[in-house]
Amino acid sequence: MHLEIRLQHRVGVFELDVGFASEGPVLGVFGASASGKTTLLHAIAGLVRPARAQIRVGESVLAQRPGGISLPPEQRRLALVSQDPLLFPHRSVRWNLEYAPGAAQRLASPAGARLAALLRIEPLLARGVRNLSGGEKQRVALARALLAEPTLLLLDEPTASLDAELARDVLGLLQELKRELRTPMLFVTHKAPEMLALADDCVVLENGRVAAQGPPLALLARPRALGVASLAGVDNLLRLPVLRHDPSSGVTFLALGGEVALAAPLCRTALGVAVSVGFYADDVLVCLERPRGLSARNALAARVRRLDALGHEVLAELAVGEHALRARLTPGAVRELALAEGMAVVAIVKTSAVHVLGEG
Amino acid sequence: MSAAELEVVWLSLRVAAACVLVSALPGIAIGWLLARWQHPLRALLHGVVMLPLVLPPVVTGYLLLALLGRSRPLGRLLYELSGMHVAYTTTACVVAAAVVGFPLLAESVRLAMLAVDRRLEDVSRTLGRSRLATFWRVTLPLSLPGLVAGCVLSFARALGEFGATIVLAGNIEGETRTIPVAVYTLLNVRDGEGAAARLVLVSVALSLLALCGSFWLNARQRRAEST
Repeated sequence: MHLEIRLQHRVGVFELDVGFASEGPVLGVFGASASGKTTLLHAIAGLVRPARAQIRVGESVLAQRPGGISLPPEQRRLALVSQDPLLFPHRSVRWNLEYAPGAAQRLASPAGARLAALLRIEPLLARGVRNLSGGEKQRVALARALLAEPTLLLLDEPTASLDAELARDVLGLLQELKRELRTPMLFVTHKAPEMLALADDCVVLENGRVAAQGPPLALLARPRALGVASLAGVDNLLRLPVLRHDPSSGVTFLALGGEVALAAPLCRTALGVAVSVGFYADDVLVCLERPRGLSARNALAARVRRLDALGHEVLAELAVGEHALRARLTPGAVRELALAEGMAVVAIVKTSAVHVLGEG
Repeated sequence: MSAAELEVVWLSLRVAAACVLVSALPGIAIGWLLARWQHPLRALLHGVVMLPLVLPPVVTGYLLLALLGRSRPLGRLLYELSGMHVAYTTTACVVAAAVVGFPLLAESVRLAMLAVDRRLEDVSRTLGRSRLATFWRVTLPLSLPGLVAGCVLSFARALGEFGATIVLAGNIEGETRTIPVAVYTLLNVRDGEGAAARLVLVSVALSLLALCGSFWLNARQRRAEST
């Protein structure tokens, strides 16, 4: 899917001035808050009208300004899913799903049934939307958008309002949608693991300008040049060589250095080749001593390098082997364990929390 | 109650109902414009719409008479088009009540529509529904409680309308003598107090009924939304 976007749009003192083309099929727009991501999405969707715009999605020109056309949002065939599910609150889940023209027939078709199964929405159909949980709402919002049969699905930080577990669930669903339905997507995010897990191509936005573009992993290789490191800093992104595979237990061991190995879900990468893995700081537990009878495969000897208080949470940087892992803790936990810089601890990470993002 | 008193009550009810019927559509349209139209002229429109609320009703009545009087250009034009006069007819009661009650209706609709999350309308557009379809399926249903409240207010205001009515419609028994006009008239005649008191009671009862109706509709709407 060919995507071509050139935009100039001013909102107060902020100016969005971008130009890029991408073959997708999933394009990630990466940037900190106030970098212009949402304005960009709204301009593509036609919800704001930039002074200068050239937007081409596949074969169709959606906007050509000044001088040419600017299609209204309803003619652009780009469904938008934002961080708030924005379901129509006065009606049922089914009414929401059948909202787009032709969506009722699509929902009743085999393809619709497959979508409903994939997003686990059949049990919700008859319910009102007000008492759905956050994760359920976001699944319904995704299904509603897909039932509009968009040529490109626009996603505005679709996991931002969900807690870590639900965010992972929705991210997994997006990966499945990409794999199963091959839906072209343009999504904006400020979470590096999300971009790495989903995007084929990535545009980094900084202060309303395109700072870099390329495959996510290539961008990750030179994070400092892009300012990506500061955005990715709160979570764990590592490039580690494959030590050995253990197919019987479904695990691949990656070298963290200093004879410490990280167990990740089994992958096919050749021994010695580096893979990129990512996991959330929320998924790292800290123990004072090696626990017994633990299901998590990773109990890694670590040393507390830094403790940074960030509001009502503490970000602990742990030295493990030759790398640093970050763990997100509550101030209460830090007090109770009497954690201090320089202390020896054990870092616990579930294998399934480690996402293998690809080779290289 | 005497037949004459019943006639007064019946006329008032008909006038108030007609007033709501004729002002509902313009009220929705103006309320929507005031809530969503991004234009400097919006402030001016808002001012003009709210004017009857702050003007003395007698002044509003005078201005309407200056516009619709039998010898005035607009009044004459309407007479030539329809063969009917507006001033000093039941129609004049409806016009006076509708104009005086219009700010209450339009303002209720405006506030209700302002409370509708604009992002819901944006989502509707990106899902392929036009501005009009979005209004019909999302904005209007979500602002329905406000519309109903506005209609009740307009109905109640029409039942109580006196100043503009007496100037534009006069005091013609069976035609323009609504409850407030009748009460005023009865208080000025010997032995009229008993009849006036009965009409006052009816008036209080009708107003209470209208309010209860609006509360009930609101509660029903909330129940429907929470299931």
